[in-house]
Amino acid sequence: MIGEENPPTPAARGLNGDGSPEPVRPLDPIELTEAALEALLFVAERPLSRREIAGLVGTDRATVDARLGDLEVSLRARGIRLVASDDRVELATAPEAGPIVARYVGADAVRLSPASLETLAIVAYRQPVTKAAVERIRGVDSDYTIRSLVHRRLVTELGRADAPGRPFLYGTGFDFLERFGLASLDELPLLEADVASRLVDGQQPDG
Amino acid sequence: MPSLVAVGPGRPASPSVVILAAASPEAGTRVEVGGWAGPLGLLLSLIETRKLDVMTVPLGGLAEAYLDALAGLAGDRLGHISVFVAVAGQLILIKSRALLPRHDGAADLAEATDEGGDPEVELRERLLVYRAHRDAGLRLAAVAAERVGLFRREPAAALAAAFAGAAPPDPVPLEPRLLAGALTELVQVIAPPEPPVEVLARVVTLAERAAVIRAAIRAAPQVILQELLRGVRDRVVVSVTFLALLELMKRHEIVVDQAVPFGPIHARRATAAERSAAGLAPEPGSDPLDESLATFA
Repeated sequence: MIGEENPPTPAARGLNGDGSPEPVRPLDPIELTEAALEALLFVAERPLSRREIAGLVGTDRATVDARLGDLEVSLRARGIRLVASDDRVELATAPEAGPIVARYVGADAVRLSPASLETLAIVAYRQPVTKAAVERIRGVDSDYTIRSLVHRRLVTELGRADAPGRPFLYGTGFDFLERFGLASLDELPLLEADVASRLVDGQQPDG
Repeated sequence: MPSLVAVGPGRPASPSVVILAAASPEAGTRVEVGGWAGPLGLLLSLIETRKLDVMTVPLGGLAEAYLDALAGLAGDRLGHISVFVAVAGQLILIKSRALLPRHDGAADLAEATDEGGDPEVELRERLLVYRAHRDAGLRLAAVAAERVGLFRREPAAALAAAFAGAAPPDPVPLEPRLLAGALTELVQVIAPPEPPVEVLARVVTLAERAAVIRAAIRAAPQVILQELLRGVRDRVVVSVTFLALLELMKRHEIVVDQAVPFGPIHARRATAAERSAAGLAPEPGSDPLDESLATFA
């Protein structure tokens, strides 16, 4: 009847017929194909974590990793790339398509001062890193520079270090990768060879 | 002034000489080195300007040029002057060590141990690490200029999709029993808060202290105030007792006598004759004492 609403069924209210709570039912699993994963990332308005994707389709993390690997390989020859930062992934335009897309959306190239560039490089290569560690390498107060980079979302606060004073730990996120045309931190330009070798050996070049 | 040129990170740049109106040419000419942002950047720019190798250049030899550059620092960099001075100190130490005769062997080892290692090695190490990250930043900028950037779908696109009929999946139903159980456990875990400590203001009245004096006088022909207050450490109690004594004296209930200043204060009950002489009844009445002391003076 028009204007008359049917009362909600017990199932709709989360109750069984006898009024007891209905047990939690997991979502029906969905087969995670490469195409489905591509479509999901296409409509997502934000980066999705691998755990989130696994929960959404009712599968395990290994399956998600495998499909993401397949998708990453398939997209290499396309205008779209799979961008990964930590546990999260998103679709973004390929670096080769940057100029035309930038012209379409009216984006400007990133402009940073030398001080900001060297600070950003330290954070990108040594993350997670504290402000004190950045200042040890630069030899100068970097508070304003880091705050400026955080404000521009090129640097993010990852958490706090388990050290006296619980200082912030800084790192990079998707905005950094996008602005510098990188699909992941693996695409960072190589550091000077001898310094890179010391970092790999776990030494503290700034200590 | 030294012939410094402005050097940006990783690239040669043109000199920046500022001529100021000053009394002397030394004070009026300032050479600014731009493009660097700290003491290591300044030192590296001095090395690169001279086309020297940072791995082999004797850093002590740059002390003079560094100090000259320091003298020409712009005012807006004076806030960080201490870090520049610290590196200048290292350079001077390195230079002085280079000038002094060195002895190989145990003496050097002891010296290095005492002073925390070779300052030239440490400074060179810092320069290399700084240069690596500075150059990496420049390469990043080059990559950004070449690739322009990556672009993702903006939230507006997803919003449009939602308007077109797309909907997020239904949330997982929450079982009320689980929620109730969790809340119950939470209540058990969190102990009820301790009631706040109640603080009551202590009140000492004239009537209380007058009663103490009256009781003492009833038990003895006379009392000494100091004896009555023996052991009392509360100044309020002492003061109020003394005021009560004065009130009783004013009402001719007691007679108070002090032979010498600071001596014992003797108090005894007023006799019927003394009260009659004052025009009062032989026995004192039961009028309450004036706790507000409005008629005290």
